[in-house]
Amino acid sequence: MQGSLIKIDEEIVTSAVASISLLGIDSTYDVYMVKLNNFSSVTTGATPRVRVTKSSSADTTANYNYAAKQLRTDTTFGNNSNTNQTSWDILNALSSATGNIANGILYLFNFNNATEYSFVTMEITQRSNEGLHRGKQGGAVHTVASASDGIEFSMSSGNIASGTFTLYGLKK
Amino acid sequence: MATLEELTVEATAEIEAAKPMYKQVNNDRLEFTDADYAQAVTDLANSKWDTQQFGYIQARQEAYGSIGDQLDMQYKDILNDTTTWKDHIAQVKSDHPKPE
Repeated sequence: MQGSLIKIDEEIVTSAVASISLLGIDSTYDVYMVKLNNFSSVTTGATPRVRVTKSSSADTTANYNYAAKQLRTDTTFGNNSNTNQTSWDILNALSSATGNIANGILYLFNFNNATEYSFVTMEITQRSNEGLHRGKQGGAVHTVASASDGIEFSMSSGNIASGTFTLYGLKK
Repeated sequence: MATLEELTVEATAEIEAAKPMYKQVNNDRLEFTDADYAQAVTDLANSKWDTQQFGYIQARQEAYGSIGDQLDMQYKDILNDTTTWKDHIAQVKSDHPKPE
């Protein structure tokens, strides 16, 4: 259906920054979508860190769980999972080398629901810091029953080099 | 093996050296607040701790190679009376030791 994907926020990183926030999640939509395009890191080997925001600030409490299948071209597929972390580790390590970028889609569920946890599904394709093609598919949950109004991306060390991060609402 | 306190000192020095740091919100580039810098130190120290304590797990997984390749090594070891697979696993464990 035409006009079903409503753009809410977009951050285009052209000059390195330590973090970006996509804000504007409210009760208007039940499900939101984040598009990651050409996401790269200044520091080779740094891993993207993802957090929900509450009142526009990242929630840094240890309530982030995730489980994902890591798809690899060089060896057997792996599993990544963890509980009670201070962020979601839902992408593989990146670098600023040409082509070593990540692209993908995250779907955000229950972010504005104050009585449910915030859930995410993700589908990522990227060239890792070793120049290998990798993908990740899985899900994550923030186990705090309160409303989240956005999502923040940063790196385990160093800055985000570039990328276009776009938040959409899925029309009800 | 460094303690978390030692890694926090290391992380503090790295964040100090990286100043000024910026966040991008609503397409505005804003310098970190004191609270943001404090969180960046905590995050970096925790990241260093995780790498030190648990980095060997992923490093070993990657170095072991695919199960298919390992089965091939074992098959050839049986045929040729060699220890290629056992040596390979021992080498990976030695190259990526588990922290004590």
